[in-house]
Amino acid sequence: MKKFLGLILGCAICASASMIGMDALGEEQTIGGSAAAAGRGFAGGAKTGEAEGFLVTNPARMAFDTKVVFNLNFLMDFNTAESHGESYFTKGISMPSFNLSFPMGDFGAFGASLWQHYSSTLRESVSDTLTNSDALIEYKGSVYEIVPSYAVRLPFFRNVSLGASMHLVMGSLARSLTLGPNKTSVDEEDLWATNNSEITDYVEGSWEIEHHPAYYTGSVQYRGRQSSFYFSYTTGYTLLNELDYNFRFSEIDTLIPNHGERTIKVPAQFATGVNYRLAKRHNVMMDLLWRAWDEDVENIGGSYSMRSVTETQDDFVASIGYQRDGSGLYYDPFWDRVTYRAGAWYKNWYIADVYEVGGSLGAGFPLGRKGITLDLAVQGGKRFSESEGNWEEVFMGIRLGLMGIGNWGQTRR
Amino acid sequence: MKKKNIAFLSFLVVWAIALSACLFDSDDSALSSWLSDQGLPDSYKVQTLTIDGLSPVSAKAYQGNTVFNAYDRSVFGTQAGLTHDIVFDIAFTDPEFLEEFSDADSAAAFILFYVLKPFYTADIFPSDSLPYEETLDVKVEWILDKGKGKGFVDSISKISLSTWQSDLKEWEADNSADTTIEFTIDSKKDLKKKDEAPTLRVDMPSALIKEMKELNSACRLQLRLSAPEAKHLYRFYGTSIVSYWPLFRMRSVTDTSLKDVTPFRINNVVNYNDTCEDCLLLHGGTFDSIVVEYPSDKILEALSDFYGDDFPYNKGDSNDVRQAVVLAQLTMPRDDSDGYSELGLPIQVVVGSYLDSLGTEVRTMEKYKVNRKYVAESGHPNMVFFDGDSLALQVTYGMRDLINQAKDGHNFKMMVRLGYPVLQATDSLYENHEVKDSASGAIDTSFVFFDHFDYARYDFGTTFSQPASLKLWLATKRGGEE
Repeated sequence: MKKFLGLILGCAICASASMIGMDALGEEQTIGGSAAAAGRGFAGGAKTGEAEGFLVTNPARMAFDTKVVFNLNFLMDFNTAESHGESYFTKGISMPSFNLSFPMGDFGAFGASLWQHYSSTLRESVSDTLTNSDALIEYKGSVYEIVPSYAVRLPFFRNVSLGASMHLVMGSLARSLTLGPNKTSVDEEDLWATNNSEITDYVEGSWEIEHHPAYYTGSVQYRGRQSSFYFSYTTGYTLLNELDYNFRFSEIDTLIPNHGERTIKVPAQFATGVNYRLAKRHNVMMDLLWRAWDEDVENIGGSYSMRSVTETQDDFVASIGYQRDGSGLYYDPFWDRVTYRAGAWYKNWYIADVYEVGGSLGAGFPLGRKGITLDLAVQGGKRFSESEGNWEEVFMGIRLGLMGIGNWGQTRR
Repeated sequence: MKKKNIAFLSFLVVWAIALSACLFDSDDSALSSWLSDQGLPDSYKVQTLTIDGLSPVSAKAYQGNTVFNAYDRSVFGTQAGLTHDIVFDIAFTDPEFLEEFSDADSAAAFILFYVLKPFYTADIFPSDSLPYEETLDVKVEWILDKGKGKGFVDSISKISLSTWQSDLKEWEADNSADTTIEFTIDSKKDLKKKDEAPTLRVDMPSALIKEMKELNSACRLQLRLSAPEAKHLYRFYGTSIVSYWPLFRMRSVTDTSLKDVTPFRINNVVNYNDTCEDCLLLHGGTFDSIVVEYPSDKILEALSDFYGDDFPYNKGDSNDVRQAVVLAQLTMPRDDSDGYSELGLPIQVVVGSYLDSLGTEVRTMEKYKVNRKYVAESGHPNMVFFDGDSLALQVTYGMRDLINQAKDGHNFKMMVRLGYPVLQATDSLYENHEVKDSASGAIDTSFVFFDHFDYARYDFGTTFSQPASLKLWLATKRGGEE
């Protein structure tokens, strides 16, 4: 276990994700980025079951769960950014979310999530004496949310549930660009002063919501015999990013930073989805998430010729998926107990002229009889960009979810 | 079944990773292109700016420490206008011996110093300086406290060194006496031949012996020796060197009944007799310092002309991080003619700058970066008592702070001090280092600095009364200049 955690940590330190929008908000982990959801193309927000677990865009769904679900997700992703006939490969490991839902029978269900909503992670270097390149660029940014939620089925309309979430935002951000001297720009007699003299343009800061402790999601879920659907609304909010701009010469040798801040007005989000049960254990599903951005995103910027803003567009995720539920009977053949998933999505990023097409295959493997499931999803696709500075990307990812299912607090009926 | 599942999952993961490795590839130069697309450089452009005619707005010399713990070496005598006294703090209890001492007609006491032989036999020490032969006029002052038992001695040992040193600055002796000593240090050649270090014996005056004969069972003796008319400054071992530390010896009846008392502590006290109204004097070994201020407005004006921006910076909280000082060097005129050095070696000038630290002014010693090519040809530019007529001091930390915190309107303030004598003025490493013999493979230490201070005297009047030239190596993060 120690070796495994060490590997995760080691990979996380040198992790890189998408290189799009790093100076804005970074990459968004759609609906918590769980392996189960990713396996069906991020569709299935309306799918109910006895242990579907917590979903950040539809807290009402967990009211129909009958089992406690604990869910931990990992993402290993590979990206190749391409532009001007050149390509750059990055890879990384991250933990997009950690979820817990706790059904309490007639008292509803409580859930909580730790969600890495946005991340900008990069650590890459170039060193070439011929071209005088000597740079190490590093982004370490995460907007985390702790999302406590409550859901309850209506007293007289038991097929309908209501849910609400509170999103407490936190996180930190650091951008570091360490540069060596360009020796062609300095006279021969002055070279000595710059030998081994690296400088680091450094920005660090923290995230919070401006003038408010949190933002909120409310949703309603209907569960039918064959069709289930949900609607949810998430309030808009303003992210406040306090920043300290600096020059560093070493970890302990820095200037006194110049303080700045940026605010990002994130619009309200509307989400809906439907799940249709074709036959026993066979489901098809469609989801739509949509936000209308009114204002551009102010970048970290502040250095060299970096852009001060990232232009936005209405962002949405339209997804379609299929899932064949695994048998819950332990004595059924193993492959019959496996859940199979497939899906595809189209995503308009919040960044103008950036959109993404992706597909995925997934499976949920029951491990033993104790109710532990290992969700695996393999996804791939392409991010198209006509946005200045953002390269197109071919991406591939492997998501791993560990799901623990239990009957804690449930009475035998 | 379990093994089968794990095997299947492992296969799936390996397959996925292998597939991804086939799909993705990197171009080496691609990151540079990506950085460029983000408006970021892949190296920084070095710019230099020279600001001439910087005249100091103030320069003041400060006396260094006046009290030094003579731990590994002690000095005694007079040199370069300074008199170095030695003060002993002695406490002991021995009722039987003191009774015998009290009754003896031949009671006597003396102090024995061992000459710091490695200093005088060092290759670099001028051979023609030795031998020293001198009749030393020594003034002996003392404070004698009587007490009883071990508890009294313990109470003295609990007085901290700093407390005692503080008391020494307001020294008031109970009694004093003058004595004369014939002292000789042999020629360097003879000194090297001898196994033992020469000694200096200072016999205690009869007035002190008389007082000590009245002791009961314990005492504390604070004893100060001074030789303001001495021709030299003599160097002895300190209290940390076993077998060579200074001893206080008492004799009761015969020389076979000697009692050796090791002092609790020995300190040197420096008396400044060097008066020169128009000088800016620094003395070696005593941590004298000169604090100089240069005006900031001329530096900021030059930066404003260079970048075409306003200085000081006035946006945000006005901490200027638009540019970085990679290195800063201040060059000043130098005149060694009024200086005195005992060893005839170049002496490094160390420099510190005053910086802001959370609203408090703190002094930080500057780092020195070696211009190897220049040093190999001309030696380190930050030395006095050396060829040339200029002194170049690196003030990178100070300049970074000045520009970063220019909103405060403070001047550039720095401190200089004489450091160690330099043995290898053209060695570019600027620190003692190990060298390996290519033939034998033996490792030896190459000493760039002499391990002993030169209690020298240097007048920086010329250096800090005339205009200096400041050269800045800069990197900016302004747009369009990367």
